[in-house]
Amino acid sequence: MSTTDRKTSASVELPFQIHAQPLEKLPPCQARCPNSGDIRGWLGIIAQREKNGLSRDDAFDAAWRKLVEFNPLPATIGRICPHPCEDLCSRNDKDGAVSINAMERFLGDWGISRNLKLPEVPRRQRPESVGVIGSGPASLSFAYQMAIRGYEVTIYERDERPGGMLRHAIPDYRLPRDVLDAEVDRLLELGIKLASRVDVGEDLTLSQLREKHELVFMGLGAQAARRLGVPGEDGPGVMSGIEFLRRRKRRLETGCGHTVLVIGGGNTAIDAARSARRDGSSVTLIYRRSESEMPATAHEVEDARHEGVEFRFLAAPTRIIRDGVNIQQVEVQGMRLGEPDGDGRRRPEAISGQIEYLAADSVIVAISQEPGWHTADTILVAGSWLRPAADGRLQRGLFAGGDDLGPGIASRAIGQGRHAAASAHAELRGYPRPSLQPNCPPLMPDAVKIDYYAERQRSRTPRRSESDWLADPDAEKDLTLSSEQACEEASRCMSCGLCFDCQQCFMYCNRGGFTRVEETCPGKYYAFAFDACEGCGKCIELCPCGYIEARDGLT
Amino acid sequence: MVEGLELLTGKAPRPQREQAKTLRDGSRIAVIGAGPAGSMFSYFLLSMAETIGLELDVEIFEPRRFCHRGPAGCNHCGGIVSESLVQRLATEGIRLPDCVVQRGMESYTLHMDVGDVEIATPLMEKRIAAVYRGNGPRSSEPLETQSFDGYLLDLAQEKGARLIPSLVSDVRREDDRMTVICADNSRAVYDLVVVATGINSRLVEMLETRTAEFARPERTKTFICEFKLGRDLIRETFGPSMHVFLLDIPRLEFAALIPKGDYVTLCLLGDDIDENLIDQFFAAPEVRERFPGGEIPGHVCHCYPRINTRSARPVYGDRLVFIGDSGSTRLFKDGIGAAYRTSKAAAKTVVFHGVNAQAFHDHYAPLCRKISNDNQVGKLVFNVASLVQKARFARRGILQMTAHEQHQEESPRRMSGVLWDLFSGSASYTNVFLRTLHPAYVGNLLWNLVSANVWGDRTAGKGRTEREADHVHH
Repeated sequence: MSTTDRKTSASVELPFQIHAQPLEKLPPCQARCPNSGDIRGWLGIIAQREKNGLSRDDAFDAAWRKLVEFNPLPATIGRICPHPCEDLCSRNDKDGAVSINAMERFLGDWGISRNLKLPEVPRRQRPESVGVIGSGPASLSFAYQMAIRGYEVTIYERDERPGGMLRHAIPDYRLPRDVLDAEVDRLLELGIKLASRVDVGEDLTLSQLREKHELVFMGLGAQAARRLGVPGEDGPGVMSGIEFLRRRKRRLETGCGHTVLVIGGGNTAIDAARSARRDGSSVTLIYRRSESEMPATAHEVEDARHEGVEFRFLAAPTRIIRDGVNIQQVEVQGMRLGEPDGDGRRRPEAISGQIEYLAADSVIVAISQEPGWHTADTILVAGSWLRPAADGRLQRGLFAGGDDLGPGIASRAIGQGRHAAASAHAELRGYPRPSLQPNCPPLMPDAVKIDYYAERQRSRTPRRSESDWLADPDAEKDLTLSSEQACEEASRCMSCGLCFDCQQCFMYCNRGGFTRVEETCPGKYYAFAFDACEGCGKCIELCPCGYIEARDGLT
Repeated sequence: MVEGLELLTGKAPRPQREQAKTLRDGSRIAVIGAGPAGSMFSYFLLSMAETIGLELDVEIFEPRRFCHRGPAGCNHCGGIVSESLVQRLATEGIRLPDCVVQRGMESYTLHMDVGDVEIATPLMEKRIAAVYRGNGPRSSEPLETQSFDGYLLDLAQEKGARLIPSLVSDVRREDDRMTVICADNSRAVYDLVVVATGINSRLVEMLETRTAEFARPERTKTFICEFKLGRDLIRETFGPSMHVFLLDIPRLEFAALIPKGDYVTLCLLGDDIDENLIDQFFAAPEVRERFPGGEIPGHVCHCYPRINTRSARPVYGDRLVFIGDSGSTRLFKDGIGAAYRTSKAAAKTVVFHGVNAQAFHDHYAPLCRKISNDNQVGKLVFNVASLVQKARFARRGILQMTAHEQHQEESPRRMSGVLWDLFSGSASYTNVFLRTLHPAYVGNLLWNLVSANVWGDRTAGKGRTEREADHVHH
């Protein structure tokens, strides 16, 4: 029997060929970051610097440049961000998330100390000008993204100095003024005009502004504090958390007494409580749910406790009792947790008859912020948040972002400013609206092979010795990583979903299907010859970061 | 930057006599690769060093995890270990537990177009053991067995070797010391580098491109795949037997189906096995009959590992030695046995004679030469086997001679023994070849060639007879 007969008599297909394809995936940190920062990108520049012939300093410079593409305020955000990115870091399943926040802070400080410049503004300016109301993170981000696209940008700020809540509400021990100043000044150096002490609404109407500029961005923030709505709230001794923090930042008399009750469970409440402690008050924070439901960052709560802030959980104030004018006591209702509500947190319910009276001479209410505009406009409806499209567009020539869409973290505001700028640019140029969706598919669960990576402990953020915290109340308690620590920490990044040159596919492909490219950079180390693939799937199984995957339709 | 690799391999092949470089307390040794050669070398090295009170610092570089299923944790081979090797390892203190070695197989079954014959274990002593090098095929259930390579690595670590889970990307000679560079850019300096990467890694290729003198082993492509059929079905259709096929397919030298628990491993060796050849193999009736319903099922895992067809040259240099497949191994068979022999010889050399090229030349190279020479004989033997595959009358004769031997308790079983040792790799090719020159073997074979082809002896062993086989063919 000839061999050709055999071949035709029964054609046996080779089943289960797994053809490989290298494809970048969206890493979990970036997917979670409200500003979709390319964290893996800037960590990779540092971690893989030797492979790409970069000195340490050059790598830090390059990483900073990558970082500021999305966030022009890294030293600031690196200090205050509650870093949701770290929650989903693949390292969590091994030895703790990469200290992304501390790395951002390190690079931010590196940029300041090296006096690095933001990308240059194009020499040829666009004909249009844009106006930006407010100078908080959303406005600064929008202004930055428009300035580097060549637009003439004017920021209108009610206050003397730009920065919004960053300047007015974040205590010095978390964000030193010189850090914010350095980053804001660097931004303004791009040629962004600042019209300070201009209150849009008072000095200038929105319509006037819209006539003046082809496009206006509103980053009004949420300036009004929500009230408790209990008897005795009106009168001296009661103030909002934001107001208290603002006065303190301006070194004004806060009017805070010796015994202070702070109401609320968010970061503003914690900032207020810790600030009041720094002024020598005895402080108790009252929160109606239990500690685990607190929106404040856990380590901030821990530090507050360490500084002597008392906590009363499952308690809600129901009456502020005054001796004529001054506060004497606060009536507090005991609570318990009931059924979960809409956002999944268990709703607090009053326990009847469980009432307490806490002595106090000041009450700081930090339960939430509200829209702070009072105009009855078609756009700015008093008391309601702005509701733009996902890219921040309210109507033609009018965009918005930041806390005027509802309270959120600064990095969300920066993201909104950035997205709005991309859309605004498209609108002004007549381009199609840019997509807000990431341009690569998400990383599948378990695509990263955790046990490939060596165990490496997370760098500890250096801290001032605890005894000094209250002695020097405005000094930062957290310090910046050293250069050595930063390199070490960057190398902990598993580079989820993007080649970092582990070389396994290259070394073990039986066919030699991977060829090293001449000019390498993070993510680009090998060229893969699809037609060389023998379909064994080994490279897919070996690839520790989930970059190489099975090609669809061929499994 | 990268100096000429003549330096990497030293001034081999024939260096000047010089002061011997020897290992001292605290000497650092890098073993690249934790397959059987690397792990056994580390084990032997540390054992021998212990006997003379020498304290060595041994680091084994292996980025892969043998606990992973599928090709990532595997070392790509049929996984056959001869019982004689298992026994030999036991005398070295390497006692392979039952969870590593499966001793379920009692015979080889030889399949040819002219019929089948089962060859029982000669003298009931040379059994066949099957192992999984990694942790079983892709997406398999946890197996009862443990990884063979993982077991040896554990043993080396128990002896004191340290596992560095990094991929080595380069080896350089710097100031009379060896520098090992990893993919993560970490680097360290060693007194001796032992390359045990096998030949399915790019490293040997990269070392070759940097020298005029060093030639990596020549390779050819093979095919291995795994079928999941289930324990019961396998027992029923394959029995406790490894099935070997002698088929008239060009370039195919050896084909075997090896039952392993719930899986059957297919192993095709020859000259550049490709999809066309695999198609021909699966189309062969002798093969299809092995599978339930005559249908070849889908396989769960496959790869095309490369195997050596010629040893590396030279296999050593100052402070550098290649062992296992990356140095010298046996043609087609018994790679693990060759890993054992080369790793032990290399360990002995570095502990008792030194780590310079001269020491390897005098004490390690002879073994490699012996293996190479035997492989030359092996090529001859396989060429003869190819002729048999092509000649139906020869197949008839062999089938009949083997079948007769299997039926006679007292016979010397010359053909059975030759086939057994050829399939299992239990004996050297030279030994096998010399036995085929024995007058009794030759006479017996001639008689069987004549009788099988003239009178058509029908006493062939169980299984298909020629008529049935013809029936299937048409």
